Amino acid sequence: MTTATQSFPPDAGAITFADGLPGFEACRHYVVMASPALEPFLCLQGLGDGAPSFLAIDPRLVVDSYPCAIRPTDRSRLDTPADRPLVWLAIVSPNAEGATVNLRAPLVINPETMRGVQLLDGDDAYPLDYRLQK
Amino acid sequence: MLVFTRKLDEAIVIGDGVEVRVLRVGRDSVRLGVTAPMQVAVHRREVYDQIKAANLAAAADPEALGRLAARLRPRSPVESR
Repeated sequence: MTTATQSFPPDAGAITFADGLPGFEACRHYVVMASPALEPFLCLQGLGDGAPSFLAIDPRLVVDSYPCAIRPTDRSRLDTPADRPLVWLAIVSPNAEGATVNLRAPLVINPETMRGVQLLDGDDAYPLDYRLQK
Repeated sequence: MLVFTRKLDEAIVIGDGVEVRVLRVGRDSVRLGVTAPMQVAVHRREVYDQIKAANLAAAADPEALGRLAARLRPRSPVESR
């Protein structure tokens, strides 16, 4: 499996989320920061004053059988044909016990165009707060 | 807020290319059909709000995220809720 870390070229530019992310609609450009110290996580850093930062992970590293399925409408928003690979990231949320992962609404990125979307109509079988074991 | 009265199978048009049509009227609910360009995202309000809350809870400063990654990293396998 090609992980999210391997999917971005070292000189990849910023990812554009045309509508921003829910809660951060004004921040539309993000860069991915990867380092051995972070693996298997990535840091998604928004660009601009007050921009958010997120920890993220390939959801298939959390659940082996995670279905990376995307509807044609969402794929078209990424401007990518059906046979091109996409990068999937799930946002990690810290809490008192450790962390949870949002598997319901993953981020999907086209590494060729560097466009991204957050899938808001993701698989209901997966929760917004899937708990990472400590 | 603009308020419209619409009957079954009547619609409103928003901007260029977005149409919201009344498909069914029930006792406590209305079924709407939305036609919009591919680039226009359409979501249920409550779903959007749930994910907004999750994103707001997940955002942190990069240093805190680095510390969290270090804390979580050796223990990658997961368990469900």
